[in-house]
Amino acid sequence: MSVDIEAYEDVWVFVEQHDGVVAPVSWELLAKGRELADETGDDLVALVMGDGVSALAEAAVSRGADRALLADDPVFEPYRADPYGEQFRALVEERKPSIVLIGGSHTGRDFAGRVAVPAHAGLTADCTELDVDDEGLLLASRPTFGGDAMATIKCPAHRPQMATVRPGVFDAGNPTEHVSDPAAAVEEVEVVVAEEDTLSTVIERVVGDVVDITDADVVVAGGAGCEGNFAPIEELADALGGEVAATRAAVDEGWVEPARQVGQTGKTVRPQLYVAAGISGAVQHLEGMNDSDVVVAVNTDPNAPIFENADYGIVGDLHEVLPELTALVRAKQEVTA
Amino acid sequence: MTDGWNIVVCVKQVPDADDVTIDPDTGTLNRSDAPAVLNSPDRNAVESALELRAAVGGTVTAITMGPPVAKAVLQTAVGAGADGGVLLTDRAFGGSDTWPTSLALARAAAELDADVVICGEESTDSSTGQVPPGIAAHNGWSQLTYVESLEPRPDEGVLVGKRDVEGGYERVAAQLPVVVAMEFGANVPRPAGLHRKIFAETEFEPVEWTASDLGIEEQVGLANSPTKVGGMDTASPVERERVVVDSVDDLYEHIEEVV
Ligand SMILES: Cc1cc2nc3c(=O)[nH]c(=O)nc-3n(C[C@H](O)[C@H](O)[C@H](O)COP(=O)(O)OP(=O)(O)OC[C@H]3O[C@@H](n4cnc5c(N)ncnc54)[C@H](O)[C@@H]3O)c2cc1C
Ligand SMILES: Cc1cc2nc3c(=O)[nH]c(=O)nc-3n(C[C@H](O)[C@H](O)[C@H](O)COP(=O)(O)OP(=O)(O)OC[C@H]3O[C@@H](n4cnc5c(N)ncnc54)[C@H](O)[C@@H]3O)c2cc1C
Repeated sequence: MSVDIEAYEDVWVFVEQHDGVVAPVSWELLAKGRELADETGDDLVALVMGDGVSALAEAAVSRGADRALLADDPVFEPYRADPYGEQFRALVEERKPSIVLIGGSHTGRDFAGRVAVPAHAGLTADCTELDVDDEGLLLASRPTFGGDAMATIKCPAHRPQMATVRPGVFDAGNPTEHVSDPAAAVEEVEVVVAEEDTLSTVIERVVGDVVDITDADVVVAGGAGCEGNFAPIEELADALGGEVAATRAAVDEGWVEPARQVGQTGKTVRPQLYVAAGISGAVQHLEGMNDSDVVVAVNTDPNAPIFENADYGIVGDLHEVLPELTALVRAKQEVTA
Repeated sequence: MTDGWNIVVCVKQVPDADDVTIDPDTGTLNRSDAPAVLNSPDRNAVESALELRAAVGGTVTAITMGPPVAKAVLQTAVGAGADGGVLLTDRAFGGSDTWPTSLALARAAAELDADVVICGEESTDSSTGQVPPGIAAHNGWSQLTYVESLEPRPDEGVLVGKRDVEGGYERVAAQLPVVVAMEFGANVPRPAGLHRKIFAETEFEPVEWTASDLGIEEQVGLANSPTKVGGMDTASPVERERVVVDSVDDLYEHIEEVV
């Protein structure tokens, strides 16, 4: 069931957008896709789908895409798996991309899992490294079993070679250069889906602004040990000029918004300082913060695995330790001010 | 749909937590080293299947693809209250990536005339989350992933799912048949009932289907998997100082060095 591999070229990046706002992970992948396309000598193509989103296609060109494909129609807003999937299937059949990169957000994973099947594509999940070999084959590496091992996955006989990447893994940079006429590199494609053929309807959508913690230099994270009181976390983060983050356990309790979840199914952060308070150090959490420069742990349990994964730790109650720390930080700031 | 919905719940057997090793030569899992358990997110799938049955009537059938010992996860599902179980087992399935895995589950679900297929968010061993949308795509069915709760509307032939999306939530009405992936932790799985558990462990026998029973023997296994594990490296563990200090003052000094 292999395909004519030679017929497939170009690196595509799926530009995930909601209500005209691009998910930051898409720009991270566009920057990575630029590197890959330069290595293989292919074009970097941004795929933009939505309703009235031509400006986003132009933005993708300004950010380094050689071209943008624009599927612009009310059927594509808000996102739904079935019309997006059907449009993508048609585009892949016609245009034959070699590589397709998709953000590992809930939307991106919903999309990627659906579209890989009709394309008979290989899809590697949650990659943390992407490279190409001498033959231009994508080398997609992902951690397995809580980071003990890295598996490099290839897709030798099928196209496209698809990969998802969680937010924060790659750097978006700020590659906006002056492109005199970005609109000239945008191609509006034929829309192949009709509303009456769709299988689902979004009957309600309640979304607010989404914070982005992935670029923070200081992250103060709390876990189940906060027991509903995140004030000590927030105050220390505030004093240090950092962002608040949390484990999935704390997010599930509703103490913190989901966009602040760090870990395998959340964000990847790599700050200079990561404070983990009331966090046990489960593998799924470590995966999202292991690249931090310095890790500080506060935990009542001296045997908590987080201490094995921290530079500096203190055995103690976070509700006492953090306010003391905050006071020390503030005192120092007043002296220097 | 007077006699309720055919609800299929997909359960996967996984190695228990961290007790997994990797064969450095083949890059494959030494699954035999670790005790095998039910993938914990699938407990949320089973619970939600049972709740759905209570709401609309019908049956819950658990399916798993795996070696014969994977029968154990079907027993767990039946112990919790599933009506029956199907074991997809065949050497031909060996080495399948998510493409053939979702094909096998999709065919089995179609064979069972499923109205709703419920999966877990992702597995704890390879955690791609690609199987549920894959099942939907193979069958051309609708899909609802990252679902916090379900609201059946049997009169309309529709299942509404509240999905966790970036920055909030959305409610999506999906036509049947539909494939659902429940969010891990979305509900509190009920414990097995004593009688049901005894039944599951003594009398229950799963239906067994092979790849050829499903007509897909030429489409599964390693040879038909687009992805290939090309190499396995032990990730170099991050070096940490692992200094435990006695006072907050000492801790502060270390923090001050960084910021
Ligand atoms: C498929 C899947 C995906 C997952 N993805 C993620 C993910 O992306 N991110 C993530 O974080 N988790 C994830 N998890 C969950 C993960 O396995 C752990 O359950 C979770 O990280 C635990 O969170 P926690 O450390 O806050 O809670 P716990 O493990 O309950 O730890 C709480 C800690 O707080 C300490 N403590 C209690 N009271 C105090 C106090 N007063 N002061 C100081 N310390 C105190 C305790 O000693 C304990 O060590 C995932 C799980 C699965 C199955
Ligand atoms: C180290 C490693 C990395 C891998 N990476 C990839 C990859 O990037 N891409 C790829 O295509 N394959 C990959 N695979 C292969 C993949 O593990 C298998 O295809 C696996 O059987 C299904 O994928 P999953 O566990 O990720 O399922 P997920 O999609 O995470 O599972 C979601 C839900 O689907 C259901 N489900 C999944 N599998 C079964 C089953 N066997 N029986 C019943 N229900 C099930 C369960 O409800 C489960 O909660 C990898 C394998 C290994 C060993």
